[in-house]
Amino acid sequence: MTTPTRMLALFISDLHLQASHPRTADAFFRFLDEQAPRAGALYLLGDIFEYWAGDDDLETPFNAAIAAALRGLGERGVAVYWMAGNRDFLVGPGFAQAAGLTLLADPHVASFGGHQVVLAHGDAQCTGDIKYMAFRAQVRDPDWQTQFLAMPLVQRKAIIAGLREGSRSAHAEKSYEIMDVAADAVAALHAQADTIIHGHTHRPALHRQGSLRRFVLPDWELDEEPRRGGWIAIDADGDITRHDLDGTPL
Amino acid sequence: MTTILITTNQGNIKAELDEAKAPKTVENFLYYVNKGHFDNTIFHRVIKDFMIQGGGFEVGMKQKDTDQTVENEGKNGLKNDKYTLAMARTSAPHSASAQFFINTKGNDFLNYPGQDGWGYAVFGKVVEGQDVVDQINNVKTSRAGMHADVPADPVIIQKIEVVQ
Repeated sequence: MTTPTRMLALFISDLHLQASHPRTADAFFRFLDEQAPRAGALYLLGDIFEYWAGDDDLETPFNAAIAAALRGLGERGVAVYWMAGNRDFLVGPGFAQAAGLTLLADPHVASFGGHQVVLAHGDAQCTGDIKYMAFRAQVRDPDWQTQFLAMPLVQRKAIIAGLREGSRSAHAEKSYEIMDVAADAVAALHAQADTIIHGHTHRPALHRQGSLRRFVLPDWELDEEPRRGGWIAIDADGDITRHDLDGTPL
Repeated sequence: MTTILITTNQGNIKAELDEAKAPKTVENFLYYVNKGHFDNTIFHRVIKDFMIQGGGFEVGMKQKDTDQTVENEGKNGLKNDKYTLAMARTSAPHSASAQFFINTKGNDFLNYPGQDGWGYAVFGKVVEGQDVVDQINNVKTSRAGMHADVPADPVIIQKIEVVQ
């Protein structure tokens, strides 16, 4: 029994979990075992998986192990929430059920001890990247998703592999600014609450502007240099803290 | 009001239980008291200036079985003020059985509706031995297996009995 707890919620994103990065997955399992049970809730804010080909890919042992670990956390009394990222947007009710978590829309306004916070993955705010926004609109379209998910799993995986390769070369051509969130898109989120927590950009920071705060989550990488990762926590006083991978406050 | 005496290895705590406002919770708590459930349990989770939680484990973090749960009476108007007693539970609202906690600070966010629409049901308050509660609040804690915030030296509830 972990309740009651002062630590109302933890937030992570951009782990890009994949079987070929076992140390990153181990860090995630350790986080679920040691840190997350101390909080009332865990919010997964996108790109937890490097890619997701459809809920029928749950049979892959790596994916099944992640779902089981999340389910175990829920059974220890921690509420688990999931927001899709730009890589794992095909996660659906099948995965949600297997992992015992609740799917959230993007953006989502949550209340912690009376303090409102807007949660987002962050890709929808990168409005300067016009090509990506067009791609996003396409793949988030329910008809497109239905059609895509009707293909055999192997075919979907092949298409995703092609998209990832294309994305890597496209990134190399895009400017640093274009791949960050745009000021007007951030302002639209701030209209919903003074505090925003998002991921996606891999540029961990706390941006302040008067009473407005925007927390950016770090990505996780333990299999390649530089090693990095961490999370954000909110407590009952509404205090938000950033932590590195071993829990040290930043 | 029913008065109980919590005898611990750190001193005695006397508490009044409010059966008028928390009838089901008090009845359930006294069920476990009369069974002797609390004898030689520990305060196994101590978070300084938040709360001290006990009544579910024996020394060595051996969990004790429980056999009944109680409806959440978090809506009864009693607040999670400093030195009040409330029921611990899982994330399920009506899962409280024997584990309870003593607030060591005013914890408004635990009051109905709390984070999950239910909050934590207060059912009593400490009337003597606040200094013992303070002392437990300040003990050193560490990790014990799956559990965080476990007192390094066990804080033992030798027994809980009804005294009035």
